[in-house]
Amino acid sequence: MATDKATTLIGPGTHISGEIRGDEDLVVKGSVDGKIQLSGTLTIDKGALVQADLDVRALVVSGTVVGSIAAAESVRLLPSARIVGDLATPRIVMEAGAAYRGRVDMGDVEVAAAAAARAAVAQPVASATEVKPRPAPPRMAPPPKAAQLSGRPDKPISTSPAPSRADSHSLAVEPTRSAPPAFPRVTGAMGGSAPAWAKKKIRRR
Amino acid sequence: MANTVIGSGIVIDGEISGEEALTILGTVKGKVAVTQDVLIEPGASVEADVEGQTVTVSGKLTGNVNAHAKLELRPDSKMVGNAKSPRIVIADGASFKGNVDMDG
Repeated sequence: MATDKATTLIGPGTHISGEIRGDEDLVVKGSVDGKIQLSGTLTIDKGALVQADLDVRALVVSGTVVGSIAAAESVRLLPSARIVGDLATPRIVMEAGAAYRGRVDMGDVEVAAAAAARAAVAQPVASATEVKPRPAPPRMAPPPKAAQLSGRPDKPISTSPAPSRADSHSLAVEPTRSAPPAFPRVTGAMGGSAPAWAKKKIRRR
Repeated sequence: MANTVIGSGIVIDGEISGEEALTILGTVKGKVAVTQDVLIEPGASVEADVEGQTVTVSGKLTGNVNAHAKLELRPDSKMVGNAKSPRIVIADGASFKGNVDMDG
């Protein structure tokens, strides 16, 4: 057994309820209830169920997580990830197929500074007209897009056909595959202009 | 077989249960109840009641043990608690304090 290496594994047939703390990497394939506090990378594998508050350095999820998440470095949600809970981390990667419901907090996002810099550049060019600066605010906070996003966790695919399928996704915990249905939507949006190569490229992901 | 390993830098406060072998190198407090073998490695510290098939102790264990097949205390192991198992091995150099129950 290669157990000398400091890698902790919670196997698929193991359940832990309580608190896990540590300063090494942890891989969960089984189930955990409670709390995980780690100064390493936490990997939640496919098939794993974690109902816990997570406070880790880095997190990689392809299983199911229910609980609030804080990652000091980054969070990566792989296609089979199912997550319900708030998420606080400076970096997030979310792959197509991952299902997530909750609030995301990426800390201080420098929107104000960017807007100020933009205004400073824009003003000398169009200083006389007050119309030019106007389009900027809606671009930063577009209300229709925000509405779409909030509706997404319940219904990952907003295509009109297959409404029953969309309903089955309303419970995000059920690990059903939602990646394949998501792709036709993308290719559909591309229209008939360049379908062949575009489809191939998307499938390869 | 992907059995469960609790690394040396990990502390678990709570209950571990399952149907696969468990290797502990770190610290566990609470309760351990698995249907397979439990291995407490040198350097590990367990303050828990432990239940398993074969329980092998090389580290430090404080708590009652119920091993359905065998309990083995390796040299340099330290155990405080009651031992219940049909077969018990205590190696030379092991330290043990507690009651022994070898009934069925």
